[in-house]
Amino acid sequence: MGDYMLAYGEYYQGRLHPASLEILSPLREIANQLGKKLALLVLAPTYEEVQNNTELLKAICDEVLVVAHESLGEFKDDLYERVVVEVVKGLRPFGVFFPATLQGLALAPRVAGKLGVGLCAHVNALEIEDGELYMLRPTYGENIMAKLYSTTLPVMATLALGAFSIKEGERAPIFKLWEMSSDFSWESKLKIRQFTPAKKEINRLSVAKVVLAGGLGLKKKENFEKLIRLAQLLEGEVGATRPLCHAGWVEEERMIGVSGISVRPKLYIGFGISGAIQHTVGMENSEFIIAVNTDKEAPLVKLAHLSLIADAEKVIDALLKKLETRP
Amino acid sequence: MLSYNLTEEERILIELIKRIGEEYIRDKALYWDEREIYDPLPIRALADADLFGLIVPKEYEGLGMGVRAMCLAVEWLSYFCAGISTTYAASFLGAYPIILFGNEEQKRKYLPEVAKGKKLCAFALTEPQAGSDAFAIKTTAKKEGDFYVLNGVKQWITNGGIADIYIVIALTDPSKGARGASAFIVEKGDPGFAVGKKEKKLGLRASVTTDLIFNDCRIPRERLISKEGMGFMVALRTLDYARCGAGAQALGIAQAAMEVSLSHAKKRVQFGQPVYNFQAVSHTFAEMAMRLEAGRALVYQVASYIDSGAKDFSGASAMAKCFATDQAMWICERAIQMMGGYGYMRDYPVQKYFRDAKCLQIYEGTNEIQRNVIARELVKHYK
Amino acid sequence: MEKIVVCIKGVPRPGTVKVDPVTHTLRREGAELMLNPHDRPALEMAMRLKNRYGVPVVVLSMGPPNVVPLLKEAYALGADEMILLSDRAFAGADTLATSRVLAKALERLSPFSLVLMGLKSIDGETAQVPPETAALLGIPSVINVREIAFEEDKVLLIRGTDYGEEELEVSPPLIVSVTTKMDYLRPPSFKRILESRELSPKVFTASDLGLSEEHLGLKGSPTQVAGLFERVREAKGEIWEGDPEELAGRLIELLKERGFIKS
Repeated sequence: MGDYMLAYGEYYQGRLHPASLEILSPLREIANQLGKKLALLVLAPTYEEVQNNTELLKAICDEVLVVAHESLGEFKDDLYERVVVEVVKGLRPFGVFFPATLQGLALAPRVAGKLGVGLCAHVNALEIEDGELYMLRPTYGENIMAKLYSTTLPVMATLALGAFSIKEGERAPIFKLWEMSSDFSWESKLKIRQFTPAKKEINRLSVAKVVLAGGLGLKKKENFEKLIRLAQLLEGEVGATRPLCHAGWVEEERMIGVSGISVRPKLYIGFGISGAIQHTVGMENSEFIIAVNTDKEAPLVKLAHLSLIADAEKVIDALLKKLETRP
Repeated sequence: MLSYNLTEEERILIELIKRIGEEYIRDKALYWDEREIYDPLPIRALADADLFGLIVPKEYEGLGMGVRAMCLAVEWLSYFCAGISTTYAASFLGAYPIILFGNEEQKRKYLPEVAKGKKLCAFALTEPQAGSDAFAIKTTAKKEGDFYVLNGVKQWITNGGIADIYIVIALTDPSKGARGASAFIVEKGDPGFAVGKKEKKLGLRASVTTDLIFNDCRIPRERLISKEGMGFMVALRTLDYARCGAGAQALGIAQAAMEVSLSHAKKRVQFGQPVYNFQAVSHTFAEMAMRLEAGRALVYQVASYIDSGAKDFSGASAMAKCFATDQAMWICERAIQMMGGYGYMRDYPVQKYFRDAKCLQIYEGTNEIQRNVIARELVKHYK
Repeated sequence: MEKIVVCIKGVPRPGTVKVDPVTHTLRREGAELMLNPHDRPALEMAMRLKNRYGVPVVVLSMGPPNVVPLLKEAYALGADEMILLSDRAFAGADTLATSRVLAKALERLSPFSLVLMGLKSIDGETAQVPPETAALLGIPSVINVREIAFEEDKVLLIRGTDYGEEELEVSPPLIVSVTTKMDYLRPPSFKRILESRELSPKVFTASDLGLSEEHLGLKGSPTQVAGLFERVREAKGEIWEGDPEELAGRLIELLKERGFIKS
């Protein structure tokens, strides 16, 4: 048992989701350390289209295993689960890993439940210690990292989005067509009536490495516009608290908090944000938190690693002045 | 500083109102005020919370609670936004005539939907030439077979256009003067009934105020409340009950104004110390607190008196309304002063409290008229 | 359509959580619990379906007795029946051990058309329980759903994917996790809050559900915590005061040092 590490390759409408390639990076290291082969599992309507996929040709896995059937053109949770479970039972990998995309979040737990094994969520680091595989993730909203392991095999985890970068391989992986058992039923209780593609670009805020957020302490809408300029200079994304979205300063998609987006950037700067729980729940796992606020007692100041006690508008103006006049 | 001897139900009610205020109102109040927007969402929340049924009797799917509960709800809603609490309280004003004087059919037809918040109510007495002089109304209601036909204009009616049920006081017999008026239920959609444009107000800008226009508005005779000639009786009795509500609104606004300005005074440092340390400032807050608690004590004393089954409480409710609303205006003006420049800026809420509070001294009977009522009642009691 | 079941979770109020130093799990009993915020959309969805189709709603939660006020909150939102799954043996469960308990409870409550859950909880944040429970029951699951309707014997859903939106038709029973964003979430009803004071939930223990200890709680959890450690970061809560220009200059220097600004 356990010659393989299996990664799930999310393939939809002819495209491989980049997260599937991202997760190969840490898995490649682990596979090398454990002396195992790394395989990427792809479910697609035809084998040919996968073989011709240019991104897969550069993937750093050893093999690409393809299950091909016309009913796999759409993501049906129950059907996909049964396919993956059969592959896992046949291949008997040491570990099975999914990207924490919506598809991964829908599928991995079904597979883990069916197999009766543990599943770690949003893992952002993998380590080997004394031959045991440990999975690390931030936990409980506090600034704590949990080091997890599984008492069952295969080890399963979903890997956090944006935690790893894609590496390209020198050699193309070996493509193999996986034959399902002859009595496998391709039925699903789900029927997809209609698909509407996303109108807007994927919101980059949730995967941004640098986030600048604004709150009521900015006082005027023009100051929020300044914040957007500042974010551009720092190559970051802009977020806002709920009141600003309700006041119409910025669209709801930029709301950071309980009813909005969670961000986990390397750098988060909150300008004029008091730090109500509704907001902090969406950013408290940021690596480096800076608060700019006139109120030393503000919850965000208490939460931040560094706080500048000053008027947000003035600090933004000063930062813009210094950064915009750099050679 | 005090505790108010609330029952468990009353405490739960206040907690629920505060929760609704925080979730649906607080972050948007200033925005609605600035843009003069009526947002139906908080009203929907109040309806889903079964809060429109507070004073509707249990037989008609309400909670059967009294004026005290209504005042607590209105006070705490006003703390978050008096515009919203006006929409809410004005609906009770429109519901009271049916609750107090409606017949069984009318109660069964209208009250359950009012209790569930499916239909808002409005109360229409005022006309361009009849404000304080309510008896000067000219809108007529002519009996024509099985119908009444209404003609005339009502002015500055809260919830105009957003309410489904309108209580309209009109003259069925102009020759009889005050005894010639009757109260009617007019429904949105009745032929000949139109709503005027939304008025631009100084405050309470999240609530809707319009004229009502009756142009051969034809309504079935079952819409008459009580009997012909009872119009002013219905109106004045309704106002007696609702007056405490206006007083309660004043308390909520004043509470908010005092809290915001106090918090500011503790943080604002001038001449090396928080301005609260200066007696001119701290004494002002002491004065605010005294007046607020005095107003609160009076409003709830009167509310409890009404709930205990009092028959004649016009004077008492006039006192509660007049005193509390005058104090609120004083408190809000001082709150702006204590905040200095910040009090004047529209990015801060204190100026909104001030503008909201002003209307309370005017509507539901101006405080001058309230004093008339008190004076009249005084001689009845102290001969 | 058969009844709807909503599974809710009590989560520690942020800031009040204490981690048990021995087991590395949350000490739930001591913590102040609140309704998982993402469960509100699930309850809202259930109430809309109840109002529209007249289907009864059962709310259930696995947790210690201090979860009861949360069940009452769900009752106040409109749930018809409350069920508490409570047993010392359930404590410390990972998502698999939790899903086993929920699956057994749902079997007991069968037949049902739909199970609604929040997309994820704000403490564990795994989002795993809804699909995992569905797999144990052998029924379909759909996550991140923003709209539900009943059409004859089918359940219609709109789910958000990373690519857009899909309208699906599913044969019940199924488990759905509801999107976190909703246009409106109703408040609890005053009338029902007052009613809930006299009511108590039905309680199921491990033996009521026919579950044995080795599959439950910490012991039955294949995911184990080896250790917890503080994330490597700067000294907590450094405060800079002064003139905004000067602060801005210092900040830029710091960001350059950290590599956030290319010098």
